[in-house]
Amino acid sequence: MVEKEGAPMGARETAQQPNGPIVAAFLSATIGLFVLGLVQVGTVVSDTFKERVFDLGKAWIPEAEGIGPYSGKETLMLVAWIASWVGLYFALRHKDVALRPWFGAALAILAVAALLVWPPVWHLIE
Amino acid sequence: MDDEIVKPEASDDPRRRSAERTLLIIIGATLGFAGLIAVVTPPVASLLGESRHAIPGALHGMSAILFVITGTIGAYMGYRLFFGRLADLRDLRVIASINACLSLLTVMFGNWIYIYYRAKGGPRSYFLETNPVVHEIFFEFKEFLALFTLPLSVATAYILLREREGLLERRWLPEIVGVLLVIAWGCLMLVFGLGAAITKLRSA
Repeated sequence: MVEKEGAPMGARETAQQPNGPIVAAFLSATIGLFVLGLVQVGTVVSDTFKERVFDLGKAWIPEAEGIGPYSGKETLMLVAWIASWVGLYFALRHKDVALRPWFGAALAILAVAALLVWPPVWHLIE
Repeated sequence: MDDEIVKPEASDDPRRRSAERTLLIIIGATLGFAGLIAVVTPPVASLLGESRHAIPGALHGMSAILFVITGTIGAYMGYRLFFGRLADLRDLRVIASINACLSLLTVMFGNWIYIYYRAKGGPRSYFLETNPVVHEIFFEFKEFLALFTLPLSVATAYILLREREGLLERRWLPEIVGVLLVIAWGCLMLVFGLGAAITKLRSA
């Protein structure tokens, strides 16, 4: 990771902005989805955790009683996504990083997230 | 002498702006006319159906169909961007922003219709009694995969709006945005297909 120094202002200013916030945007999206997968597996494994997740959904989503624990799973995904975006944004906002490896990591996280929400996978854990 | 050539954006062309305005007027007038005919001729209730969930069902279906249209346009533009065949990103910025909004709306209306799906005597209990695999694969996987479109679409729109035309000058970024658009579209199409299959098997 290389710190960007004194980017000159001008016609191509946009291209010379640090690219850390770009990484923060796509990486946080996949982190939120990974947390969704983890929470889904957690609710399958533990009824107590499932209840807590449901309580979280009921705390703010209208008619969450009708939606069930899914409301809490959405909530945790949103919290993880937004919180990691904010955190990564502030951590990377002045930095220029290599985009390709970070995007590769994001794709790997996304693939694991998709696997965790695939019912045959969490039925194996059940 | 500065050898850097600054290309004017296509959106600066007054002829193009005028043509876009005309096109928007034609689209607006056509949709308005079609809507008027639809409202005046058949009773609106017949369009929506008579069940308790007619309105959330219509809103969820309508936003999903619109999302499929704009998502497909976005994926095609993403494909062109990936292969370096897209020089003007203005339309893509608009489409990506619309995709992000439609993803949020579709998920919200999906939550609303989910209440009827889970209700006593609804499709969920029917599938669990007759064929649980339909509920588990068709619905449970679909409800999670639908959420995938939201952060991916928002991240894509953010990157496009932040970088604007400078995106094309960043190494790997056009490819990354192209892949994000296509992945979000793939999730959307899978979710849409599974959702359509559920309504065919058993309506709420």
